Amino acid sequence: MTKPKVASDWLCGCAGCHMSLLDIDERILQVVELVDLRATPITDLKEPDEDGVTVGILEGGINNTYNEEVAKKMRERCKILVALGDCAVFGGVPAMRNFFGADAALKRAYVDAESNDSEGKIPSDPELAKMTRVRAVHEVVPVDVHIPGCPPDADVIFYALVELAQGRIPEIKDENLHWH
Amino acid sequence: MINLTIDGKPIEVQEGTTVLEAAEAAGVYVPTLCHHPQLTPYGGCRMCMVEIEGAKTLQPSCTLPAANGMVVTTNSDKVLKARNFVLTLIFSERNHFCMYCPVSDGDCELQNRAYDEGMTHWDLQPNWQPFEVDASHPFIVLDNNRCILCRRCVRACGELVGNYTLGFEERGADSMLVADYDVPLGESTCISCGTCVQICPTGALIDRQSAYQGKETEVDHNIGVCVECSVGCQRDVLTRDNRLVRLEGEWDAVLNNGLVCDQGRFIPLEEDRPRLLSPLMRKNGSLKAATWQEALAFLGEKFGKGKGVAALASTRQSAEDLALFKSIFADSLNAELVTSLEEGKNTASLAKMADKLGKPFEASLDALKDTDAVLSLELDLVNEHQVAGFFVKRQLLDGTKLIVADAKDNSLAEHASQTISLKAGEETQFLTAILAAIENGHADLEFAAVAKILQAAEKPCIVYGSTFASNANDETIETLLKLANKIGAALIGVKGNANSMAAAQLGLEAPFTSDGYESVFLMLGDENPSQKLVKALEDIPFVAVMATYSSQLTANADVVFPVTMWAEQAGTYLSLDGRLQAIPQALEAPEGVLTSQQTLQKIASAMNIDPAYDWKASLLARVPTVEIKEV
Repeated sequence: MTKPKVASDWLCGCAGCHMSLLDIDERILQVVELVDLRATPITDLKEPDEDGVTVGILEGGINNTYNEEVAKKMRERCKILVALGDCAVFGGVPAMRNFFGADAALKRAYVDAESNDSEGKIPSDPELAKMTRVRAVHEVVPVDVHIPGCPPDADVIFYALVELAQGRIPEIKDENLHWH
Repeated sequence: MINLTIDGKPIEVQEGTTVLEAAEAAGVYVPTLCHHPQLTPYGGCRMCMVEIEGAKTLQPSCTLPAANGMVVTTNSDKVLKARNFVLTLIFSERNHFCMYCPVSDGDCELQNRAYDEGMTHWDLQPNWQPFEVDASHPFIVLDNNRCILCRRCVRACGELVGNYTLGFEERGADSMLVADYDVPLGESTCISCGTCVQICPTGALIDRQSAYQGKETEVDHNIGVCVECSVGCQRDVLTRDNRLVRLEGEWDAVLNNGLVCDQGRFIPLEEDRPRLLSPLMRKNGSLKAATWQEALAFLGEKFGKGKGVAALASTRQSAEDLALFKSIFADSLNAELVTSLEEGKNTASLAKMADKLGKPFEASLDALKDTDAVLSLELDLVNEHQVAGFFVKRQLLDGTKLIVADAKDNSLAEHASQTISLKAGEETQFLTAILAAIENGHADLEFAAVAKILQAAEKPCIVYGSTFASNANDETIETLLKLANKIGAALIGVKGNANSMAAAQLGLEAPFTSDGYESVFLMLGDENPSQKLVKALEDIPFVAVMATYSSQLTANADVVFPVTMWAEQAGTYLSLDGRLQAIPQALEAPEGVLTSQQTLQKIASAMNIDPAYDWKASLLARVPTVEIKEV
């Protein structure tokens, strides 16, 4: 039997969920025995295989048009999509800016920030992705498994990966359910 | 009795029981949010919806009275789906991002309910409307962004505290928790009792002193009694890593049912007086740190015999401390004066009457929780003994009449149905006049009005404070008893500090005038010394003090022993209505600091005294003004 392929990517998050994934420590060897780890932001391969993967994992919320593309591509190429962490599940800390709007956030960062020079220009290159409201992944593409947590505990991630590797949908409840 | 079935379990309950209570009795858990056992059922959040056979729609179990033959289902798919939907709607209404909330991870009932239901995400996005956070209050932060509109705080503020500061403005999604007519909480009529914070299920009302300091899962609970006054509210002292995190009223308390006042909840956390950490003694005119051995020897020299010695104790000390103190200074040393810092002002006249009668004549504070008329004599229950004041204030809308008799500014007066002037020193005439008005109707208008209220009452209470007790003589108390007897009133004397009554029971009631004493021993503990006391001790040739904090008084003293503060020692306290309650030690004392008990024992040894005492026996030896019962 071939091992299920797993790919991951990060969107508008802090990479903390992937760090928490690495916090499973030596258990990563067990995971690698069970699955074929494909593209991730922390390995060389950056995009999920064109012929598809079994499990796609997304960290981070969807904050601009580029995130949308990445999320859609991952959704197209995976059978089971996992939203990992509070940003992917709820919007998370970046979603705080939704209370003020993208314009106010850009102004604060590029014009008003104490470290900026007097010119303070908001980047406007047409090549740049367009900012949107920060959204949970499931607002943009259907999600099969939500694993909240900021970040999710390494044990929860390990449990979820082992379940997914063996063709089961992990049940995130009781001890494994935390939103912080 | 009513018989019904809940999830297939038959259960018999009293008439008037709600379905929620019946479910609890049957051991069936129904989740709630707006419901609180101390509040009138409200039915606002719809978390507790259950299916009733024959009913078209789901019903909120918290407000639905159980009926005969009712068949209740609490866990059908329909119920679970509705519960999940209710939670989804609540989460979508405001900003409930848990990762930046101080009550997240155990202390938030909303989050706990979501975990119980296995909610991994929100189907509906939050409303991205931000609301202003009101941080104008010295202790409380009001954050409407976290509010779920359950109105627990509003109901607690009114129903439990009788303060009616919190309310809601606007309707539906625009509903905002506001203080008074939408003024900043810090400028409102809030009395900082903090009941709203304690009862808030989310982070909408948080206490700024303890936010982020320790969650339920991280703190230790030490249930004891508040030592700030004689009401004796049961209180939970929450600690973490030997640090005071938060003080909360104990919901299951016999008397206060979760209530404490600002003095019991917030003020002790503001403590910033410099701590004494080693004995001090006067050498060549200046006060210097000394070893225990030196300081004790110094003390032993001065307190060799009782002649010219006065010993004073704070009534914040435990009954054990007071009894040991009395044993050392009165029984063994035969000091000329052994008394408390209250000097019996709040208790002596009353205790004397109990001695004379040979039996107690005062009532339990419970009488004040269910009364239809209160006569308050020279007592301001808004500024002192506040929780007793809450009991009165919360009944006023139900028709309980309050008569405030005082000559001074009295904050309770604004809540009164009748105010009447009572000048200090005229207590006897005043009570005689009321009695006369009741007995033969001859009275001026004011007295007639008071008499009318008291006569019409079925369960009247007469409460009196320190001024009344200190001005009263035998005749006053006799008149008071006659009046109480005439109208069937419960008598409640509020006394003074936490162990005011214990000091009275031990006979530590003599007045202190500073003239003529060679030396004074003062067991001050963590009490803040009054200016009057500092002044009174200035001319005493030798002053020894046991104190927790450095003050002008300790700076003037000749030898000072550091002792523990209230949370660092265990002890027993006798409330104003005779409840004998124990306090556990919640914190470890700093290195080198001993409890008052240990310090007194050392001092006794230094004076070659081996005290023999039984604190409980000495406490119970005297006829009390109110029956003493162990809680």
